[in-house]
Amino acid sequence: MQNIIQSLHPLERKIIPFLKNNILFQDLLEQTKMQEVEVMRALQWMENKELLKIKTEITEIITFGNLGKKYAIAGLPERRLLEQLKKKKLTLEEIKLEDSEKNIAIGELKKKAAISMGKEIEITEQGKKLLDKEFLEEKFLKGLPKDQKTLTEEEKLAFENLKKRKEIIQVTIEKTKTITLTELGKKLLKEKIDFDLIETLTPDLLKTGKWQGKNFRKYDVKINVPKIYGGKRQPYMEFLNKIKLQLVQLGFKEMNGPLIETEFYNFDVLFQPQDHPARTWTDTYHLKHPTHGKLPNDLVVNRIKNAHQDGARTGSTGWGYKWDAKIAMQLMPRAHGTAVSARQMVKGIENPSKYFTISRVYRPDVLDATHLIEFNQLDGFITDKSISFRTLLGMLKLFAIEIAGAEEVKFFADYYPFTEPSVQISAKHPQLGWVELGGAGIFRPEITQPLNIETPVMAWGLGIDRLAMFKLGIKDIRYLFSQDLKWLREPRII
Amino acid sequence: MPTIDISLKDLSKLIGKEITRENLEAEALLWVKGEIDGQEGDLLKIDCKESNRPDLWSTEGMARALSPFYTKERGIRKYTAEASDLYIHVDRTVDEVRPFITAAVITDISITEELLKQLIQLQEKVSMTFGRKRKTVGLGIYDYDKITAPLTYKACKPTEIKFVPLGFTKEMTLKEVLEKHPKGIEYAHLLKGHDRYPIIIDKNNVVASMPPITNSETTGKVTEKTKNIFLEITGTNLEDCKVALNVMACALADRGGKIHSVTIDYGKQKIITPDFTPKKIKVKFEDIERITGLKLSLKELKELLERFRYDVKKAKDCLDVEYPSFRQDILHPVDVIEDILISYGFNNIETIIPNLATRGELSDFEQFCESIRNVLPGFGAQELLNFTLSNKEILFEKMNIKEQDCVEIANPVSSKWSCIRSWVLPSLMEFLENNKTQEYPQQIYELGECVILDEKAETGTQTIKRLAWAHAEKEANFTKAKQVLDYILKGLGLDYEMKEEEHDSFISGRCARVSVNGVKLAYVGEIHPQVLKNFSLEFPVCAFELNVNELYKILKGKEKSS
Repeated sequence: MQNIIQSLHPLERKIIPFLKNNILFQDLLEQTKMQEVEVMRALQWMENKELLKIKTEITEIITFGNLGKKYAIAGLPERRLLEQLKKKKLTLEEIKLEDSEKNIAIGELKKKAAISMGKEIEITEQGKKLLDKEFLEEKFLKGLPKDQKTLTEEEKLAFENLKKRKEIIQVTIEKTKTITLTELGKKLLKEKIDFDLIETLTPDLLKTGKWQGKNFRKYDVKINVPKIYGGKRQPYMEFLNKIKLQLVQLGFKEMNGPLIETEFYNFDVLFQPQDHPARTWTDTYHLKHPTHGKLPNDLVVNRIKNAHQDGARTGSTGWGYKWDAKIAMQLMPRAHGTAVSARQMVKGIENPSKYFTISRVYRPDVLDATHLIEFNQLDGFITDKSISFRTLLGMLKLFAIEIAGAEEVKFFADYYPFTEPSVQISAKHPQLGWVELGGAGIFRPEITQPLNIETPVMAWGLGIDRLAMFKLGIKDIRYLFSQDLKWLREPRII
Repeated sequence: MPTIDISLKDLSKLIGKEITRENLEAEALLWVKGEIDGQEGDLLKIDCKESNRPDLWSTEGMARALSPFYTKERGIRKYTAEASDLYIHVDRTVDEVRPFITAAVITDISITEELLKQLIQLQEKVSMTFGRKRKTVGLGIYDYDKITAPLTYKACKPTEIKFVPLGFTKEMTLKEVLEKHPKGIEYAHLLKGHDRYPIIIDKNNVVASMPPITNSETTGKVTEKTKNIFLEITGTNLEDCKVALNVMACALADRGGKIHSVTIDYGKQKIITPDFTPKKIKVKFEDIERITGLKLSLKELKELLERFRYDVKKAKDCLDVEYPSFRQDILHPVDVIEDILISYGFNNIETIIPNLATRGELSDFEQFCESIRNVLPGFGAQELLNFTLSNKEILFEKMNIKEQDCVEIANPVSSKWSCIRSWVLPSLMEFLENNKTQEYPQQIYELGECVILDEKAETGTQTIKRLAWAHAEKEANFTKAKQVLDYILKGLGLDYEMKEEEHDSFISGRCARVSVNGVKLAYVGEIHPQVLKNFSLEFPVCAFELNVNELYKILKGKEKSS
C-alpha cells in the first residue's frame, strides 16, 4: 500500500479527495474542476494500479425534437383541433392550424374515431369523451426525457407513434462512465496520503538540501515512453567504409577520379576499340553539355593511338582501324570503376603497388527493385614482377573469403576487353549460395606497354551491391540509396 | 554478348556423342565462355561472353570447339574449297561507300529446318554483333541456281536502277527501298551522305541485292528446296569480311556442304575467297610461364593447345602456333596463353596468395570528409546517400532560383534523371518531400559528390564534394543552422566571416554567406516558404550547404603556412 501511495502522480493525488464508490465521471469532473483529459489520465493510471474500474454504459435517451419542444407548450395539433371542434363544426379552411399540421391532426383524430368527415368536420361522441382525457402521446411527452430501456407497453405504443411523425422526438446515445472502487481502492481512500512527496528534483532543492528526509514520488517504470531517434550514419556508407578499411589492411592505397570522364580514360586507355558496342548510346550515357574534354600530353596519346591502330611495339596486331582523337575527347558520366584505374596508371604508379577505389558509376537502366541508375563499384589493381594468373586467382580467393565471407570459390573463363587472361569469380556464401562476385584479369600488354608499365598488372572489380544488400538485410536494391526515413531511423547498432 | 539458341539433340548429332545440360555446365561451357541463360525442352539459350569469336555463335561452331572435349579429335579442323568459275567484278564506285566483298558457293547441301534456323541465327549474330549492326559487315545468302555468273559489285545512283526487294512484289528504286522497305528504313543511316548505293547485279543485269540493306525477292530466298547456296559478305574492312565468310562457310561445311571458291576481281588485285589457310603466331615459353605461373612441359602444352584446336608446328625458343582462319580474336600471344589456361581448367590451378608487402592508405581528402560526416550524428542528424543524377526542375526551379548551367545527359532514360547535381541541398529537400508523413523533427545531411562546369579543366567539369544539412521542425530557425555550421568550422580551427546574402532559396534577411579570407564557403539560412511550398512541406526548414573541397584547400594552405 505504501508503494502505491508513493507512486501516485500529482493528478491522481488531486482527484483522490473527490473519489467515492459509484461516482459518475461527469460528477467527478465538475467537483474537481480539472480538465477532462487530466481526470481521465489519472483514472486510467489508477485503473492500471487496480484501484478502481471505469465502467462505460451506453444509454439511449429519448428527448424532444424541434417540433416536440413547441408542442410541449402549445399542445399537439390534434388536441388543438379537437378543442376548436368542441364549439362548432368547421370546414377545412376554417381550421386554425398551420397547413403542415392540418392533415396530421385530422388523420390522428380519425384514427381515434374522434371526428366524422362530411362537408364539414364534426366532433363525435367518442371525441367529446376525449376532450377531458390526456392522449397517450401527450402523457409520453410530459415524461421526457426517458431511457428507452425503461418504457412500459403503453409508452412503447406512444413512442412508436411519435417516432413516425417528424421531429417530435429524438433518440440520443449517451455514454455514462461510472467509477467503482475495488477493495484495494476503498482501502486506499481510508489511508492517510502523504502529499509532501518530491515530484521533481530541482536545483533549488539540491542547493537548500530540502530533499533530505523526504520521499520521491515513485514512477511506473514499466510504462511505455515516446520514441526518440538517434542521428546516425547511412548504413550503406558504413558498409563501404568497412570494406575500405579491409582493403587498407590488405595493403591497398585508395585512388579517386572524376564523375565525368573523357572516353579516353573510360575506354581508349583500356584498349576498347572506338566502334565497340559497349561505347554506343544504348550501353552508356553521353553528355549534351559539356560535350568534349581535353587529352593528356601527345606522347601518351600517340602511344595509345598506335596500340589501337596496329599494336605498335606492344607485340599486338592492334584493332586495325583509324583511331580518332575527337572520339576519345568526348565526355561521359563514368561507366565503370576501371576508368579510375586507367587514370591512375596514366598518372603513374609505384612498383610494386596495390590500389583500390570505390567509385560511383552510371548505366542507362530503368530504376527498379533490382536495377540502379547509378551505383558504386569496387575496383583495384596490383602490380609486381611476381604477378601471374596463379597469384591472381589466389588474390581473388582471399577477397572472397575476407570480404564476402565465402566458403568456397569457383572460377569461370570470361571476356573483358581490357584483360587477358580474364576470369569471373563465383563464391559460395553460407546463406546466399553461389553468388557471382566479380571479374578480374591481367591488363592486356596493349594497355600497360604504352604507359611504360613493365610489370604485369592484375586488375579486379567486385560487385559489392549484392553483398551490401545481404549484410543490410534488404531485398530492394534502391534501399542502398534509401529515400525512406523510417527505415533509416530504425535502431541498428551492429 | 550474343545469346544463341542451341538444340541439345542437334549438338549431340554434330559432336557424335550424347550431350546433356549437366555435362555442358560441369566444364565444357567454360571452354567457349558460355553461360546457360534458360532452357525450353531441348532448346538451350546460351550467353556467349566472347564478343570477338563469331565462330562460336552457332550449334555448328559450338560443336566444333567442344568436340575435342568429348572426342579424340584434336587440332585445326581442315576445310577445303574447290575452285569454281564464279567471278565477281568489283567496280571502283563502291570504294567510297562499302569497298569490300567476299563470297563463296556451297553445293550439295540438304537444307533442313534445323540448318535453316541456325543459318539465319548465325547470319543475324554475325551482322549484328561482329558486323556492328551491319555497319562493318553485312551478309547475303542466295539460291545459287537463280544467279547467272559473273556478278558485278558496284554503286549506283539512288534512282538509276529498280528491283523487287525481299518480301515485296513491286519494283522499287534504291531510294524507294530506303524509304519504304522495313530494313531500308532501319539501315538507311548506313548509306546516309553517299550519292551512290552499293548493289550486286548478275550477268543479265538482274539485281541480286542491295548490301547491306536487303536481297532481291527473286534470288535472295533460301528455303528447304534450295540445293546450292551463294554467300556474300560486304563491308568496310576486308579482314572482317574474310572472317565472317569463313565462319559461315565452315558452319555449312560442318553440315555436309561442299565449299567452292569465288574469284573477286578488285581491278589492281584478284583474290580468291574463302581462304582457309591457318593463321600463325609465335608464343614464347618464357611468356607462357610468366603469365600462367605454371610450369608446363612441351608435351603438356601441345596437348592443351591441340585440344583447343590449335596446331603446334615448331618449338624451339618459342612455340609456332597455327589457329583457324575464322578466328580474329588473337591480337597478341596473351590471347593464346589464355586459351592454354582455359584448356588446363581454371579450377585445376593451384592458387598462390601473392606475398607482396605494401602500405595501405586511405585518400587524405576522403578521410577529411569522413571526419566531418562523423560529427553530425552527434547533433541528432541522420546521414543520407542520394543519387547524383537529378533534373533542372529540382536543382533550380523548385529551389526558387534561376536556371544555371550544369552537366546534362544527352540520352537520359527518364527526364527525372537528366542532369548531374551541382549542389546537394535539393536532394535533401526532395528527401523531406518523400518523408512528409514521418515523425518530425527531421534532421538530415549528406556529404556527397556534385559536378560543376569548368571549361579549363581536363574533363570540362570539376567533381566536388559538398555537405548539406537540413532541419525540418516547428521551430527550425537560422540560429539552429548557424550553431551546427559554427561547431564544424570552429572544430576545424577556422575563423570565418558571415555576411547577409540574397539567395532566393532562403528567406531574405535570414540568409548568410560564410567565407574564410574572402573564399566563399557556405550558405546558411531559413528556407524560403515558396521553396517549402514547391516541395509541399508544411514545416519550416533551416539548412546550410558547404563546399568541402574549398574547405579542405583552406585547411591544407593553413597547414603549410604554419
